[in-house]
Amino acid sequence: MSKEKLQEKPEKKAEAKVHYGMVIDLRRCIGCHSCSVACKAELESPPGVYRSWVKIIEKGTYPHVRKFFLPSLCNNCDNPICLTNCPVKATWKREDGIVVVDPHRCIGCKYCMASCPYDVRSINPLKRIVQKCEFCRHRVDAGIEPACVETCLGRARIFGNMLDPKSEITQLLATLPTQVIKPDLGTYPQVFYIEADLDAMNPMKGWKGDE
Amino acid sequence: MDLKIFYNIHYEMPLGIPIALYFYLTGLSAGSFVISVISTIGGRKEYKPIGRIGAVLAPLLLILAPFTLIVDLEQPPRFWHLFLYLNLKSPITYGSFLLTAYPINGLIYAWYLFKGNARLAKILGLIGIPLAICTHGYTGFILALGKGRILWSTALMPTLFIVSAMVSGMALVILAAAIRYAYRYQYTPVEERESDRALILNLGKMMGGMIIADLFLVGNDILVLLTSTQEALHVAHLILFGKFQPFFVGIEILLGGFLPMFMVFLPWTGRSLRGVVVAAVLVMIGVLAMRYVVVVAGQFLPLH
Repeated sequence: MSKEKLQEKPEKKAEAKVHYGMVIDLRRCIGCHSCSVACKAELESPPGVYRSWVKIIEKGTYPHVRKFFLPSLCNNCDNPICLTNCPVKATWKREDGIVVVDPHRCIGCKYCMASCPYDVRSINPLKRIVQKCEFCRHRVDAGIEPACVETCLGRARIFGNMLDPKSEITQLLATLPTQVIKPDLGTYPQVFYIEADLDAMNPMKGWKGDE
Repeated sequence: MDLKIFYNIHYEMPLGIPIALYFYLTGLSAGSFVISVISTIGGRKEYKPIGRIGAVLAPLLLILAPFTLIVDLEQPPRFWHLFLYLNLKSPITYGSFLLTAYPINGLIYAWYLFKGNARLAKILGLIGIPLAICTHGYTGFILALGKGRILWSTALMPTLFIVSAMVSGMALVILAAAIRYAYRYQYTPVEERESDRALILNLGKMMGGMIIADLFLVGNDILVLLTSTQEALHVAHLILFGKFQPFFVGIEILLGGFLPMFMVFLPWTGRSLRGVVVAAVLVMIGVLAMRYVVVVAGQFLPLH
């Protein structure tokens, strides 16, 4: 494989015209958890499981203190390890880049949950299958934005087609510095953060479970 | 700088004790099968009982093992999806075929071994060795492909699993042989008694050798973890000094590793049947602790 090819995103199909992604602009996020609530209401997630939530950390000592937010959801990776590891092909990547779970095929072996580097998959305690954020595919197919994007009152979430040069998300990605979580794993996350805090993105920071 | 996590969602551990138990059972089965075939092919008369013990234990354990997996599924009645919708990239898919082929082959092997058909038993045994090693090696791959978990995603994992399977399998065969020895003590002539005893002591020495290989691999793994990424350092501290210290350092390394190794090689305990049997029991407990530590401590670190 040539060097250029390795730098390309894997499995990018030439004929694909739509590739969905999300930009989360943390300059606009106020940590209100509306996205989590909208997600739960839209997808009827039972208590205890979340497909989208906001991690909040606090740094510094008074008077130099600040909270940092990190809205977390499935990164809908371009090279997802869950897709490699699912033994029954219950999870796959659609042509438009959304990674979906087939509720009728999933056997609940939880191997995808164990191998996901972001831990965004969970067992639905009522349906006993694995569920995760699918960018509200039912809404996207109907031509409307995901529930969290529509509800975000600061307009911090921007969803759209990353292959369309006129879309807002493409312009943001082209003109602003963005980060993804754990880029070194080669999963190519499709959720990009503007001005994300390094410590908020680091799961080990502030973790006290060892004591 | 002060840093506090204000809000984060609860962290769930996907794989638990049934999976650790499954790894333990397949390991015992693979180990005892390989010992059985080696002693059958070796051809010496005094090794014959070992061949038979291993041939019975291996398929028995492996018929039990898949039940722990099916019980652990969230949708147990859908287990047949594993054979219908194949994802050839997933190690679990290899597992579902290996877990079918290996016990069937093991049962036929045991049948011919007890029937006295040495030639067929040898052929089936030779087919069975790679099957047994793959059946346990693939479980190592399941963990090694768990990309997010730093304790799992090492290329050492399949080898480590195979070596620890050999160790625990030998311990199980030693125990079974010792029970057979004690049970038949009154009915056997003195010479046979002596050769049985020597055989168990020899197996103990072999087990000691495998324990050295196992400890060497674990040591390599820990040393690399200690000098690798931030997460690797955290997980190394977790098992060396943290919550899993009693299981890892206490049971797996000291009680189930160094202590039986010394017991087997030192003349005072290594030449007594009791010493070797105690060492075998310790090894079996140690390997069970190893499976538990790998599965549970591997998922202990938060990922978000």
